[in-house]
Amino acid sequence: MRAARGKKGQFIIIAALMLSIMILAVSTVIYGTVTYYRQERWEEYVTIVDSIKTASSNLLQIGLANYSQTSNPYVLRDYFNQWMRDVRKAYPGLGVDLSYSLASGIRSAYGVNLNYSLGLARTWNQQVSFSASDATVSIDVASMGLTGYNFSSHAFLKMNIRDAVWYSKESKRYVLIYISVEKEGPEAVVTLQKSNFGVKLSGVTPPAFSVKRYYSRTYSGFIYEIQVNSIDALPSSAEITLQDTRGIKTVSYTTNIQQSSD
Amino acid sequence: MEDLMTKAKQTRNQRSSKGQMRVIEAVMASLIVVSAVAFLYASAATPSSQPQETSELEKIGHNVLHDIDEQGLLARFVYRSEWANLTSALVVSLPTNVYFNLTVYDVNGNPIGHPLMQYGNQQIFDSSKAVASVSYIVPGYQNNYSPRVLVLKLVRG
Repeated sequence: MRAARGKKGQFIIIAALMLSIMILAVSTVIYGTVTYYRQERWEEYVTIVDSIKTASSNLLQIGLANYSQTSNPYVLRDYFNQWMRDVRKAYPGLGVDLSYSLASGIRSAYGVNLNYSLGLARTWNQQVSFSASDATVSIDVASMGLTGYNFSSHAFLKMNIRDAVWYSKESKRYVLIYISVEKEGPEAVVTLQKSNFGVKLSGVTPPAFSVKRYYSRTYSGFIYEIQVNSIDALPSSAEITLQDTRGIKTVSYTTNIQQSSD
Repeated sequence: MEDLMTKAKQTRNQRSSKGQMRVIEAVMASLIVVSAVAFLYASAATPSSQPQETSELEKIGHNVLHDIDEQGLLARFVYRSEWANLTSALVVSLPTNVYFNLTVYDVNGNPIGHPLMQYGNQQIFDSSKAVASVSYIVPGYQNNYSPRVLVLKLVRG
């Protein structure tokens, strides 16, 4: 009888010990699971690749801005050659290597066929004018085993003279020119100021003009309305020069100027 | 009769001792379980989160610079030396408990002269165990190619 009682007492102690061991074991597993964090080495490369990708896209805009202002047809190629060297310098020890391919020949950009040469194209002095650049960039990062990460990028600026009207009403004679501007996307450009535009009527720069921007139901989009006062005769032509906030330039030209006395 | 009384007394003593033993066993078992839980509680140190913290800060820093760049402001701030605007943009964009120090270099690693662009005391950067560093490259502005490397250091306050 005494031996049986002794066994019973030991059992409770053993049960308590086993329960403690279970608590410790389960807690250790849960603790390990909750606090698990494995630092992935590739995570730091994601930001580097993204940074190079964004900068390469910006380089296309810089190249196009330079080309549209200086007409240097080699500028984008030269910039990319320099960019390849500079990226290696900027990220030393990572084995970053960049290669590129500039668009050539006729390519479609937002529904418009443009004739590219060395990644650059422009169609100016028409009612609808364009400036565009297009390139494919490939990134290798040897230290992480990344090769051939490709992406295409382009910069684009389109200006459309929707209408040009010479108003002759009593003593008030003025010209209204309605313009829409789009960039890559295509996305309407709505941040332009008067300083971004230049105007010529019949080849002559008027002393003053004003610019208004609003949403037009007639044209189903945002419109820049350029008004030039004191124009006594119907102009033979209107030329609008636009340089956007990125420095990209385009020139639209029309001889289709309507006359109105309303 | 006397025998019966002695037997009853013995039985009472045995029961009393059995009850005491159960109490002692229960106390011992409780002590074992409580000491196990106490051991767990005492040894549950805060996990070492420095790599995770640094990684998170790097992502935050990169995203903020990328957002400012996407708005076309980063290049303007850097190339037109609008350092105060750049500092303000970072202060506004980063979480309030994240402090930063920004330095601008050319591609050869030479620092570009600019005033101190920092939010938070230098002591925070010196004492912090998790300092994240983000490199962001800007190729140029308008029609000028002249790359700059922005190095943004971040700590959590």
